[in-house]
Amino acid sequence: MSARRIFFDPDKARGPQEEPEVGGQKKEVGTDITAEVTRDKAPEALSVSALLGRVKAALSAQLPRQLTVVGEISNFRRPSSGHLYFSLKDGEAQVPAVMFRSAAARLRFTPTDGLEVFATGRVDVYEAQGKLQLYVESLTPKGAGALELAYRQLVEKLQGEGLFDPAHKRPVPRFPQTLCVITSPTGAALRDIRRTLSRRWPTARVYLIPVAVQGEGAAGQIARALNLASANAEALGLDTVILARGGGSIEDLWSFNEEIVARAIYDCAVPVVCGVGHEIDTTIADLAADLRAPTPTGAAELAVPDKAEAARLLAQLEARSARTLRGQLQQARSALASAQRSEVFRNPLHRVRVLHQRLDELAARLRGRLIQRHGQASARIERLEGRLRWQLGGLSKRKGDALAERVARLSNVNPIHRIRLARADLDAQGRQMLTLLRAQLASGAGSVKRLDRTLEALSYRSILRRGFSVTRDGAGRVLRRADQLAPGDVLRTELAEGEVRSTVDSSTPRRPTDETPPPPPAPRKAPKPKKSRPEDGPTLFPLNGPDA
Amino acid sequence: MTKKQPTFEQALEKIEEIVAGIESGQIGLEESVARYGEGRELIEYCRKVLDEAEKKIQVLTNPDGDRLEPAGELEEPEDEQA
Repeated sequence: MSARRIFFDPDKARGPQEEPEVGGQKKEVGTDITAEVTRDKAPEALSVSALLGRVKAALSAQLPRQLTVVGEISNFRRPSSGHLYFSLKDGEAQVPAVMFRSAAARLRFTPTDGLEVFATGRVDVYEAQGKLQLYVESLTPKGAGALELAYRQLVEKLQGEGLFDPAHKRPVPRFPQTLCVITSPTGAALRDIRRTLSRRWPTARVYLIPVAVQGEGAAGQIARALNLASANAEALGLDTVILARGGGSIEDLWSFNEEIVARAIYDCAVPVVCGVGHEIDTTIADLAADLRAPTPTGAAELAVPDKAEAARLLAQLEARSARTLRGQLQQARSALASAQRSEVFRNPLHRVRVLHQRLDELAARLRGRLIQRHGQASARIERLEGRLRWQLGGLSKRKGDALAERVARLSNVNPIHRIRLARADLDAQGRQMLTLLRAQLASGAGSVKRLDRTLEALSYRSILRRGFSVTRDGAGRVLRRADQLAPGDVLRTELAEGEVRSTVDSSTPRRPTDETPPPPPAPRKAPKPKKSRPEDGPTLFPLNGPDA
Repeated sequence: MTKKQPTFEQALEKIEEIVAGIESGQIGLEESVARYGEGRELIEYCRKVLDEAEKKIQVLTNPDGDRLEPAGELEEPEDEQA
């Protein structure tokens, strides 16, 4: 009996004919019916299904097909089936609610416990459990807009996963050769990007992957385009991807706030520069991109350098290297000049002579001393000789001769003689040193002159730029006269940009026949290419490319 | 022309390296002159790259699988002069 009262609300069972306001006279009508059922006893008992059937009929008769309930979400569950289950409650009551997968798929935000929402749908009985249930078709957050909430929720989620991590952001190539633009083929964004690229960096190759940038399926197309660009990055030689869309409402820009787009950007093999909407719009795509620009034009500007700036940089580098080199040459020249001016080179024998002089002095002193001692020794020998003669008296003549010979040998070790020898040796060494110094000086001067000439040779290219050209024969010699050539000879004409190869025509005017060798004046057509000298032209540099 | 051309970026890096080498004063004069010549050639090459004519935008399509291929040039917009 009590169970029956719970499920069978007499208010709702009266049928559509009376249309009572909630409240009103329900009590008396209710008691009427209860009384009737009680009176009829058992034979009139309803099956459970029949009961619920009547309840359902009563409900659908009494309530509009669709209504909107405001309440707080609680006990939210999302099982793998994809259906959403939760309760809506206020201070006093709660009602179970279900949102089927198809409806849930249209939700842009994620319902969470505690969130106040407007739930639109119908009320019905869930027979399996005999309970009243709200079948929700759409949910709207109370307060913030659904998109705003969805945006906040997704930012939070992807941030937690590190999709916006600065450490993951890759540098965009400074001088890209190939770019891929992902945008609408008809939008203003493409026009702006194209204009900017052609103004700043026309040398780049540009590809377009056309996509829808708003409406149903746009996010899928954009994500797919990013995946394809990533997969083909190597084959196409892509340096950078530009993802862009012009300004619009938050609904218009919504595709760029979708999770699949953010993930495709994060996973892209090449850096992505994003420029969506106007300055104030920051989409999730912007947050996930490697570089983010306020507008499509801004994205193109960040993706490529300015041609004029690059040209200035080249000019600077050119000037810097030329200046340094000129400075080095100047330095070498003055170092050489100062070496030539130095005492050693001006008067290379000076030091040798100083030494000589000192040697002479010492030799003189030594000789004086020796002569003195020699004199003393001689006197002593003479004295001893006299004493010997006196003592030995008539010693044999032969012994006397031997003695004389020993005396003579003694005088042969005269130190003066040895000093003379040493002096001659010193002279020879001095001369040798001088020769060596001269040779070094000459070779240094030669190499500076050579470098000087090559640096000057470089400047002839500026003449070529004015429209002149240099013509060489097959061996690379610069041609000055027509008679340096025979028909069939190869001509190589160097222009400011590149080189032309041609052959001398057989009807050369100054030549009677083809077979006659050239007249004597300058038989310069050597059989083998001579070793090139600087006079032949600026050949030290690979002016004609690697084959020169 | 038969050799694989360096990219603008590679050429520029090489030039910067050459200039730094010359400026360091660590290399001999003859070597400096040689590198200077090489640097000049690279600078000329870079200038040529900068002066290249603008290329038309190629539209990519996805004929099958994960392949992308150029399907033609994008037409010039009408309002370019506007």
